[in-house]
Amino acid sequence: MKPTTDLDFGERFYLREAVKGMGVIARHFWKNLLGFRDPNAEIMQRKGPGVNMVSTMNYPEERKAYPPGYRGMHRLVPRIDGKPRCVACYMCATACPAQCIYIEAGEYDDQAIEKYPVRFEIDELRCIVCGFCVEACPKDAIRMDTGTHAPAVLSRPLAVFDKEALLQGPAVEHPSDLMTYRVPLRTPSADPTAGPTSRGDVKDH
Amino acid sequence: MIAETPSARLASEDFGAKAGVKPSYGSWLFGTIAGWGAFLGFLLFISWFLLALTRLCIWVGDQIPLDWGLSPAIGTILALVLVLVMITATLLTMADRKWSALMQDRVGPNRARLSIIPGLKDRPLHGLPHILADVLKMLFKEDFIPEGAEKNKFLFNLAPLLAFAPAFMLFAVVPVSPELTFWGARMQLQVARVDWGILYVFALASVAVFGTALAGWTSNNKLALLGGLRASAQLVSYEVTLGLTLVGALIVFGSLRLDVMAQLQGMTEASIRTAAALANRSGDFLVHDDSVIFGWLPSWGIVFQPIGAILFLVAAQAEIKRAPFDTPEGESEIIGYFLEYSGLKSGLFLIAEYAETVVVAGIVTGIFLGGYHLPWVEPTIVRSADQWLGISGFSWLAVLQVFSFIVKMLFIIWVMFIARWAFPRFRYDQIMRLGWKMMLPVSLANVALTAFVYLWGGRDGLAIMGLLEWLAIFSFVALSSRPHLPEPAHEAHH
Repeated sequence: MKPTTDLDFGERFYLREAVKGMGVIARHFWKNLLGFRDPNAEIMQRKGPGVNMVSTMNYPEERKAYPPGYRGMHRLVPRIDGKPRCVACYMCATACPAQCIYIEAGEYDDQAIEKYPVRFEIDELRCIVCGFCVEACPKDAIRMDTGTHAPAVLSRPLAVFDKEALLQGPAVEHPSDLMTYRVPLRTPSADPTAGPTSRGDVKDH
Repeated sequence: MIAETPSARLASEDFGAKAGVKPSYGSWLFGTIAGWGAFLGFLLFISWFLLALTRLCIWVGDQIPLDWGLSPAIGTILALVLVLVMITATLLTMADRKWSALMQDRVGPNRARLSIIPGLKDRPLHGLPHILADVLKMLFKEDFIPEGAEKNKFLFNLAPLLAFAPAFMLFAVVPVSPELTFWGARMQLQVARVDWGILYVFALASVAVFGTALAGWTSNNKLALLGGLRASAQLVSYEVTLGLTLVGALIVFGSLRLDVMAQLQGMTEASIRTAAALANRSGDFLVHDDSVIFGWLPSWGIVFQPIGAILFLVAAQAEIKRAPFDTPEGESEIIGYFLEYSGLKSGLFLIAEYAETVVVAGIVTGIFLGGYHLPWVEPTIVRSADQWLGISGFSWLAVLQVFSFIVKMLFIIWVMFIARWAFPRFRYDQIMRLGWKMMLPVSLANVALTAFVYLWGGRDGLAIMGLLEWLAIFSFVALSSRPHLPEPAHEAHH
């Protein structure tokens, strides 16, 4: 039976297509070897004279920013005096379906806020990144706006992030803070640049 | 604010997205030029080193009062097999991966680091540490012999050696340089100048079958046996084409010796010397360079034997079992004859493949690409080196000739790697059909045509035939192509 095909003679003879195919491969080779690598995280925007066709990102060295709404690793939001906003109410720990938050409460002697967390630990291996803790928090003290994920660790205990590790990022102040602690507002904090704005933020214009 | 707990350190290191630094065009240009300069400089150094190593062995041999006469052979074995083939094969394990990446628009492996050395902690070095990592991995993996193979333990252990050794032994007849004087000693970078050069190539190419067949059989594994059968059938089939294509070259050069073949593709030392001596004041050479045909065309084998060269390259690709002829291994899905091998024995099979690539590229260079000869410029090099550098121009010419051999060899290797990614793997029946029903008749016709034209028109007739064949191939490739179909608009931005 004669095979039915829509290939023409040159394609069936193979030589021409072989040479053309090798030409394509060779063109890619030389363009990528001699080309200029644009490490733009937006791969579609890698343009310019002589830019090669490599679309890889060398991941740990080069990263693409997560989208704005990304639910990333937790942080304990600091007040402008550097202490955590957390009042150790246990609502996040209660809301957590994975039970990865461990809190031990302590008491301030001299402040209007009575309670603070002595220990605040999140096991990032157990966390299912649902965001319920953020929803549950009445003081906007825990957020997932770090724009990163929990880092890879070499052993399980290292994945338990304590209060010191979680307390990072820009400070947030709230109108109700005026009633609760007696430190002068508007003191220059460590990082006065505006963090992500959300409900309750007072932007200093 | 952030305490020095391990998790805190991790968190601070990993906080936020980092963008890569876009290199400036200046540094890119500098890097490109520096990289190519370093590469060519390395090749020149290797060329000089091969000659110097052989000369050193001859010198050491001269210090021994006993006249044993083996020192040039030992020198060339050290220089060619241990330095040239072994270094090239080792570098090819990495070049294969990096070049494949470049052909497929990837970056390629660059994760291995030489963190022990101070200053190199976070430097990928273009993936070069992977060579060391691969070697260490092969060395320290468990060398496991399956229970079924214990019965034939000797043959099981012999198979990788039989696959590995012929590749190196084949290089014995490849001429890397002409017979030359280097630091006052006559020598030639060729291990064995024997009258049966090509026959030796055929014989040892057949020995490679034993390695694959034994590996498949002694593994006592059905899949390995099938792989060994595929390999044996393929090797035996393509040996025929391999031999017949070289018969054409045999007719052209009238010799079985590869060094004679290489010599006939360029000027001899005597004619270079005469030409360099007899130059007029404006630098024109008064001696006619009779190694070029029609006064301009280098008399390379590829000019006389285009079809023979192409068929030899394809048959050699099948003979060394590289893609698209890699059904014997089929590393990704159908498992091949070295399925049961682990550790360094598996590594031997792998490195043998690269060594075979080097050797095949060397043979192609020696027979079809003019060997070590630089066309047209050899007297000019000798004369300018004599005139401007005040030293023997022939030493410079020797280094440049070895250099040109290595460059041509690397080019052939590169073409074989290009072919590897240009074609999908052939099915077993397609391999057999290509070998027996297409390549064998064409190579037979090539032998008959070459013999006929040689009797009728001699070398010039063969050159005309070769040029016509090249013309036919080029016009066929260029003119017969189908007009491009207009692409759909939405695919233009993919």
